[in-house]
Amino acid sequence: MSVDFDPYAILGVSPDASEEDIRDSYRRAARRLHPDTNQDNPGAAVQFTEITAAYNLLLNYTERIAYNQEAKQRPQDPLAFSLRVTPSKRNLFPLTESQVVYMLAEILPDPRAEAAQEEIRLQTHLNLTLVLDKSNSMNGKRIERVQVAAHKIIDQLSPQDILSVVAFNDHAEVVIPATTVMDKPGLKARIAMLKAFGGTEMFRGLSAGVEENKKYLAPRLVNHVILVTDGNTYGDQEKCLALAQKATQEGISISAMGLGDEWNDKFLDQLASITGGASDYIKTSRSVVRFLDEHVRSLSNGFVDRLSLSVAPDIGVRLESAFKLMPNPQSLSIEEGLIPLGNLQINRITSILLQFELPANMREGYQAIARMVASGDILSSDQQRFQCLSDISLGVTRTPQTDETPPAILDALGRLTLYRMQERAQEALEEGNFVEATSRLEKLATRLFQLGEGSLAEQVRQDAKQVAFTQTLSAKGRKNIKYQTRYLLGGTAVMDEHEEDA
Amino acid sequence: MRACQYCRYANREGFFFCEDCGQPISSEAPAESPTKQIDQSLEHYEWRTSYGTTHFQAGAMIMLHVLDHPTPIVVRPIEQVIIGRKDTDNRLPPDIDLSPYGAAEKGVSRVHAAILRTEEALVLIDKGSANGTHLNGQRLIPQQPRVLRDGDEIRLGRLVAHIYFTT
Repeated sequence: MSVDFDPYAILGVSPDASEEDIRDSYRRAARRLHPDTNQDNPGAAVQFTEITAAYNLLLNYTERIAYNQEAKQRPQDPLAFSLRVTPSKRNLFPLTESQVVYMLAEILPDPRAEAAQEEIRLQTHLNLTLVLDKSNSMNGKRIERVQVAAHKIIDQLSPQDILSVVAFNDHAEVVIPATTVMDKPGLKARIAMLKAFGGTEMFRGLSAGVEENKKYLAPRLVNHVILVTDGNTYGDQEKCLALAQKATQEGISISAMGLGDEWNDKFLDQLASITGGASDYIKTSRSVVRFLDEHVRSLSNGFVDRLSLSVAPDIGVRLESAFKLMPNPQSLSIEEGLIPLGNLQINRITSILLQFELPANMREGYQAIARMVASGDILSSDQQRFQCLSDISLGVTRTPQTDETPPAILDALGRLTLYRMQERAQEALEEGNFVEATSRLEKLATRLFQLGEGSLAEQVRQDAKQVAFTQTLSAKGRKNIKYQTRYLLGGTAVMDEHEEDA
Repeated sequence: MRACQYCRYANREGFFFCEDCGQPISSEAPAESPTKQIDQSLEHYEWRTSYGTTHFQAGAMIMLHVLDHPTPIVVRPIEQVIIGRKDTDNRLPPDIDLSPYGAAEKGVSRVHAAILRTEEALVLIDKGSANGTHLNGQRLIPQQPRVLRDGDEIRLGRLVAHIYFTT
């Protein structure tokens, strides 16, 4: 197995450590991370593989010498990132019941990156694939706006970028096979010929798109697929998710843009989330151009790609949930061990809020909570793979000092609570429990009023009324609540234009 | 556990916002033992057919007979007598503390109900308890006073007691 990270850092030993030191340090880490003691903990498995690889490398004399020599030739001190973890409480009170603690994990771009951003932008190249829905429902304004958006993207790309475009209805059609962006008018012409008709079979489009993307797949590129759709796909959702899972492992991320109200938000969110991509709701076709334009801009703004976080909680501690706050707020899946986070932009922090459950009856002293590793490919550096590690433990004492909850956590939690309330209301709605759905929506409205989100609160109150009287809520209403509360998290809503589709 | 001040939902320790209603949870008070939620459907009660007087004489006392406990609780009716259960923290105990009678087990709230003295009568008020207050088998609407009669049966959660007026 190749080791594409610093084995000394992973094991926490110095470059001149003796074999004995390395063994000691490995044993200590392995005891914590071994799969036998971490059955429900996929994050530990990921980290265990890494420390084992590092250990095997360092104990092999020739490999170690080779690594050291190679390391010497690398540029010193490349632009990288750091991992900062802030707990909601520094000191815990030992209780006879389980308790919850939050961790804010922030991945910070190198402060020097901002000064070098012009240079970085020149070095960041995209391998971009657009997968466009051309089913019957896209006919008219929608397809027109998508075409304009694609034209704008072509204008934005440089000759070193790679573009491919796939359009799909019941079949997938490769409109532009993966190519460098040289002949811009030619590429635009091919997009202009798109006509909308037929049904929606997403898997066909997506798999053709991933295939096109793979042609130029490279670790030095941002390999990304953007899916634009306005409809539901039937029967092939599982296949799409499996495809996305595989694409992630190969280094491709997928973003999903839902247009109008008919598409399946849960499915597209999940599709994007498992690859580290973004998902968004585009209310009217007028906004398509801006949404896509901004999304592509954020891709070119990245200097680290395939960013991911693995979390290995200690024995007795359980990771309950993870939520990405910035950029592109979304719920993260913690089942795979490695949480994909997409790219890291030059001047934007990526922050994740993690919720842990701690065991009852903790002993006084220090309680180890988790070991977190952030890793990513640095696009401009020869070293490429970079990792940051953080071991977190908290004090347990019967006389805890009252420490202030970090405002950033309190703030994020307040807004995340709103999103969760909305989720639970939607769950109740799906289960057909209209009484509960109404009550949950009313509570959400109350809370929104208190927080000064008057217009959204009014909207939610109307929705609660609608559920109470008609026992339904329109697809539009449901998406509105979901994405509006989600925008509150990011604080940077892309304002949607209010004109409706004709 | 930490009960939300707004909706009484029992949140796990460490939450900053109530899981149910989204309101912030005060981190001031230490964790408290919440009022046990009891299954009310299993209850049976017998309805009373005769009622005592509502007249409460000037110098009379309230006598509370907790079911299955031989010695009654006797209190002088001040303006408001709080009935509840003493908590582990240093908060002021209620006027009638039912914790020696298995209050925690039977689902009595810290501030469960109150007996108010009006000119010539006593009224019972449920103070928004978790498991409710019943008067002769009927559940009280929280914060709405009901007149007490001599010999009435009151039920706080699952704790049953009889009230007598004594001179």
